[in-house]
Amino acid sequence: MPTVTFLPGFRKTELPSGSTILQAAQQAGIHMNVVCGGLGKCGKCTVYVKSGRYDFDREKYGKFFTPEELEAGACLACQTSVLGDVRVLIPEESIVQEQKILIDVMGTTTELNPAVWKYALRLSPPSLDDPSPDLTRLLWGIEKSGGPNEGDIYAPLEVIRRIPRVLRESGWRVTATVVLVPGGYRLVDIERGDTTPACYGAAVDLGTTTIVVFIRNLIDGSIMGVASNYNRQISCGEDILSRVTFARKGGLKKLQALAAESINAAITEAANNAGIDRDHIYEVVVAGNTIMTHILMGIDPAYMIEEPYVPVVRRYLTAAASRAGLEVGENSGLFIFPAVSDFIGGDIIADILASGMAEQEDISLLIDIGTNFEVVLGNRDWMFACAGAAGPALEGGEVLFGMRANAGAIEQISLDLETFTPAYRTIQHTKPKGICGSGLIDLLAELLRACIIDRTGRINTAIEHERIRSGRQVPEFVVAWKGETGIGKDIVITENDVKALIMSKASILAACRTLMKQAGITHAEIARIYFSGAFGNYISKENAITIGLIPEVPVERIFPIGNGAIEGANLVLLNRRKKRFLDEIARKIAYIELNAEPSFMDEYTGSCFLPHTDLSLFPTVEEMLEKCRLRRGVP
Amino acid sequence: MTISTLSDWTGEVGTVTIGATKADGGTRSGTVTIGGERDLAFIGNPPTGNRPLIAYELCDDPSLWPAPVIRFLGDRASDPAEWARFAAGEYRPDLIRLYLTSTRKRGFSAFAAITTTVENILQATGLPLIIEGSNDPELDSEVFRRIGEAGEGERLLIGTAEAGRYRSIAASAMAFGHLVIAQSPIDINLAKQLNILLREIGLPHDRIVIDPYTGALGYGFEYSYSVMERIRTAALKGDDDLAMPMISSAIDSLTVKEVREADPSASDRTSVAWELYAMLPATVAGASIVCVRHPSTIQPLKAAIEALWSPPGGGA
Amino acid sequence: MALKALDIYKLLPKKNCKECGEPTCLTFAMKLASGKVKPEDCPYLDENVREILGASTRPPVQRVKLGVGERSFAVGDEIVQFRHEKTFFHEPGIMTAVSDLMDPDSIQAVVADVRDHLLVRIGLDLRLNGIAVWSASGSPDAFATAVEAVEAVAELPEVLMAEDPAVQEAGLAVCGNYRPLIHAATGDQYREMCALAVKHGCPLAIRAPDLDALAGLSGLCTAEGVSHLVLDLTSPSLHDMLNQATAVRQQAITRTAPALGYPVFLDTRPCGLPDAALICGVLKYGSVLVADPLSEASRKALLVLRQNIYTDPQKPIQITPGIYRVGSPGPDAPVLLTVNFSLTYFTLQGYLEASGTDSFMLIVDTEGLSVLTSVAAGKLSETLVRDSLKEFAVPDLVKHRTLIIPGYAAPLSGKIEDETGWKVLVGPRDAADIAEFLEKEWT
Ligand code: SF4
Ligand code: FES
Repeated sequence: MPTVTFLPGFRKTELPSGSTILQAAQQAGIHMNVVCGGLGKCGKCTVYVKSGRYDFDREKYGKFFTPEELEAGACLACQTSVLGDVRVLIPEESIVQEQKILIDVMGTTTELNPAVWKYALRLSPPSLDDPSPDLTRLLWGIEKSGGPNEGDIYAPLEVIRRIPRVLRESGWRVTATVVLVPGGYRLVDIERGDTTPACYGAAVDLGTTTIVVFIRNLIDGSIMGVASNYNRQISCGEDILSRVTFARKGGLKKLQALAAESINAAITEAANNAGIDRDHIYEVVVAGNTIMTHILMGIDPAYMIEEPYVPVVRRYLTAAASRAGLEVGENSGLFIFPAVSDFIGGDIIADILASGMAEQEDISLLIDIGTNFEVVLGNRDWMFACAGAAGPALEGGEVLFGMRANAGAIEQISLDLETFTPAYRTIQHTKPKGICGSGLIDLLAELLRACIIDRTGRINTAIEHERIRSGRQVPEFVVAWKGETGIGKDIVITENDVKALIMSKASILAACRTLMKQAGITHAEIARIYFSGAFGNYISKENAITIGLIPEVPVERIFPIGNGAIEGANLVLLNRRKKRFLDEIARKIAYIELNAEPSFMDEYTGSCFLPHTDLSLFPTVEEMLEKCRLRRGVP
Repeated sequence: MTISTLSDWTGEVGTVTIGATKADGGTRSGTVTIGGERDLAFIGNPPTGNRPLIAYELCDDPSLWPAPVIRFLGDRASDPAEWARFAAGEYRPDLIRLYLTSTRKRGFSAFAAITTTVENILQATGLPLIIEGSNDPELDSEVFRRIGEAGEGERLLIGTAEAGRYRSIAASAMAFGHLVIAQSPIDINLAKQLNILLREIGLPHDRIVIDPYTGALGYGFEYSYSVMERIRTAALKGDDDLAMPMISSAIDSLTVKEVREADPSASDRTSVAWELYAMLPATVAGASIVCVRHPSTIQPLKAAIEALWSPPGGGA
Repeated sequence: MALKALDIYKLLPKKNCKECGEPTCLTFAMKLASGKVKPEDCPYLDENVREILGASTRPPVQRVKLGVGERSFAVGDEIVQFRHEKTFFHEPGIMTAVSDLMDPDSIQAVVADVRDHLLVRIGLDLRLNGIAVWSASGSPDAFATAVEAVEAVAELPEVLMAEDPAVQEAGLAVCGNYRPLIHAATGDQYREMCALAVKHGCPLAIRAPDLDALAGLSGLCTAEGVSHLVLDLTSPSLHDMLNQATAVRQQAITRTAPALGYPVFLDTRPCGLPDAALICGVLKYGSVLVADPLSEASRKALLVLRQNIYTDPQKPIQITPGIYRVGSPGPDAPVLLTVNFSLTYFTLQGYLEASGTDSFMLIVDTEGLSVLTSVAAGKLSETLVRDSLKEFAVPDLVKHRTLIIPGYAAPLSGKIEDETGWKVLVGPRDAADIAEFLEKEWT
């Protein structure tokens, strides 16, 4: 059997001659882009065959490549059969990133300024000539090694109790760990021997449904381990309000414990993967929504959900991690991101930090999309923020065949504008089971381009086509026939689905426009749009604009920042100087209550149209749609 | 006089001509043109555009019609042609608006009667006509085809297209050369959206009259009033998708509590007041056609519109 | 012109010191832009900036108060040309005219009628406002007698319509302490009239042949120390009244002719179309409207129109949540859920009444938002429905467990069923179709 070797990782796999490179890749566990499902139509599965015998019809598929690319051995993986051992280079564009929960290896660079220092000390034992006490001896040692002045370090009792033994048992060779907390330097640990390389911190995104943990090496900033896991509070209520209700009914203790437990589990998993000891985690930085962080700290969130909606704490919080029940080093610090209001929490401050918008003079718009959405508009001088409910449609909820971004979800789709034949890609390339958020956005845009739906989302049943049918209650469009799906029935999108999606996208666009109006900013003045949230990385920017989910700006101004909350937490963990900046960000933000903003409803109905009732706000979309209509002719 | 209204508008409401005379291929004794304003309603010396018109509303099945009108008319209400002849002759509205209320009864299938009714009305009066068809998607295509066909060449204004059902009516208008009323529920965005939808299926703007939906006085009229003002100012600011003339009819005026419960001796006067106090404001907000059902409202409404229209010395 | 929050922010000291009571200068700027705070609240503004901000946030139409006591009213303080831009703040006062040629008894009958006439709608009292006493005879004594007749019956705000200063003075001698509106100063006698206005502390109406002259006269009167002016734009031509009132409002709010920044007075009698003139006065910027006594039908319609037009478009009128009965519903009657936006309530109620089906309306508290809005804003939720069913003891009222919800609330139907255990029927989107719906679905 021929062996296929994939570059650049040298992953190898064997399979029968005549198999396609795509099959080889799948067998090797490499997820390639197969937008058209391996039909040779989308050109997304490009690979370069570097050596070996293979068969590929250059005539037929040449149109996807430039001569230079062909020269370099470009092929379509799905249309290339392997005839002998081959070496194949898979360019990055052809690889699908791992789906599941979004874990992003941060793009932002920051100075490494952690709040933790470890000092390996060789102390001289006391003598009659040098009778200074153990603690002083230790602190002197730290000072001499370049650490803070002896008098500036606070040593908690638990650590002091261990000093005499550790010093003597180790033969006066110890490692002392000092952490900078708001109150000053704190001696948090003393260990035998030299453990300086084992200096870690944890960054945590405490979400309502998921928890993500990064363990970072605080000496070089490298990522040691990553883990994610469901928030175990889900057993007490699916959404945030039901959690608060649960807390109100005396369940706060339980919720607090579950939050800690969920974080501990993720930390343990990440630590185990990295082969490190949890006790060497000296600082934990948590970004989460206001209610989640209140619960983690055991603060009653009840008053936040009733008028006038005030949180108990707005500024950042610190404490010993053990007091929140986190199982890391005994005296390790815990840092909680500040919040603006009950709706704009530390997760959004983390988004802002991660985006860098608070340092720029240009105006940015940051959008965090989930069942609830948050929008922030501003620059380094001022910021407006608002939050609202978008409904679950964009996450696949309340849509007949909608689903979360799990295996089998159609996450990318295009339609042949003549034949209406879809070409799609599913997560993990299994047979389709449903459609997730990014797929739904694509689908909406494509249905509009193909003039199958009008701008209010109504399916034009006057078109005679097998994929357009009246459905049980409302008209629907068949995305995948029963035979090709993994669920044994046709996957369709109904007119009601389309409307639910339009309503969801409308609340987000309306929120953006309300902030822009409040600030007197036009689309042209927005230098960047940052996209955060579960599907931020996979979403098609063009299609998001086509349907009017976000304001039209040139696509190169749009930046998905993935999970901004975890990125922000990482940044703070690695660079303590950002902490003060967080409070500054939080203070700068003026929160706008959309429900109290009379123009919001107007913006909303204006946005319940594809892309928007004011067509002049979406000039290039209009041009494109005009062409589509002309091509189809007026029905 | 140097201080006057500030008219720095850049847009203009489009004009729409309803009805066709013999010369245009129809049988109407005259046509009417609405729209053309370049300023707020009645503003300017003389005002811009065309004077607002009054349409008198009647129907082919009076069982769904307001009681005060039926009481006032007696037997005449049972024959739409006779009704139209009487109203046009005695009260002189500018247009007649016929509602084919018979199509709104359950199980309606008398499609042939639609053709006859429309033809009869066309014979009964020489005024330009507005015809309101069914409001059931199941019936629409047949009903509007019939209306379109029966009135071919007459340049009827037919209603009512909504965002949920606009294709059949637009198709009929395009096939038989008529005009369309585009109705949306008291919202400027929805009004604009419908106009865009109609444009995109090929119905040009000069064949559309906007009906922003009018709530009765005391029952949401203020929303309609403001939406009309907004639509008008949007048009004057240059929004082409809203630059069509508007029609306003507070169809619930004569069924509201105040009118229903009025002392029988004051029934007519209350009916007139409730129609007048909604329809005159509608013209001030920018409506080009206002509609009434009580014949006695026509005269005072007309006098008021004329007084608002004519600059002094311009004759009344 | 109104400044945007960000424009204002740029002028602020950006100290974020919180001394104004706001968390940040930006929030202060937002509130200032919407008129919720005053520039003076920030102690760190320099004179210049305060001036700019003050000028752009002060209402461009002077506030003027008529009468004293319970029935007194204020007009002016308006800031927009169209009500949808914000709202119209002060309803015009409707002043019923009596003349000094009428005998005191007839005058008193009119006054008593104005005093007692009351229309209650949506929980609000709608009333006519006062009396305009018209000097038809030209005699100071007759005028004083007429004013006395009015005063004898009620403490209502008055307009004293007499251009002869001597006659005016006779009237003021009777009621000058009660802040009547003096009508009217003209180019010929404005000095005397101003003196009277100053002496009695009364607002003054002014009249001139055209707007330029009126602006000039307004300047002269303020120079005489009268700042509470009202501009009389009465004309026999309805067209002219509308055009002039529009011009005055435009000039005032754009601050192009500050001398016209006063409320408008319209006498509806000369044009011969009282209904039409009153309608125009209510719609287009009249603040004090004089009219002969009206028929009950016109009067009602007028009061309702005025209420409609002066409703804050941004604050929908709400209905108290609860159970409302249509007809006399029994334990088998349908229960229809809707929101407490008054328009929705009245529309549904109207159609239900017309349908003749006895039924219960369950009105839930969506803070006055319409169905569509409250669904979008998450105000109408399954928990709200559940709590409302319980709060208003609906299970005790009916035997069945079926709830009819508005068509636009369809997305919530499943959740409501889960949360309440009631079966949910999705009703029509348009209340007009409710009769047909009930006929089909409720048998
Ligand atoms: S008082 Fe002035 S400077 Fe201080 S926060 Fe308020 S607006 Fe800013
Ligand atoms: S071309 Fe290979 S997967 Fe589309």
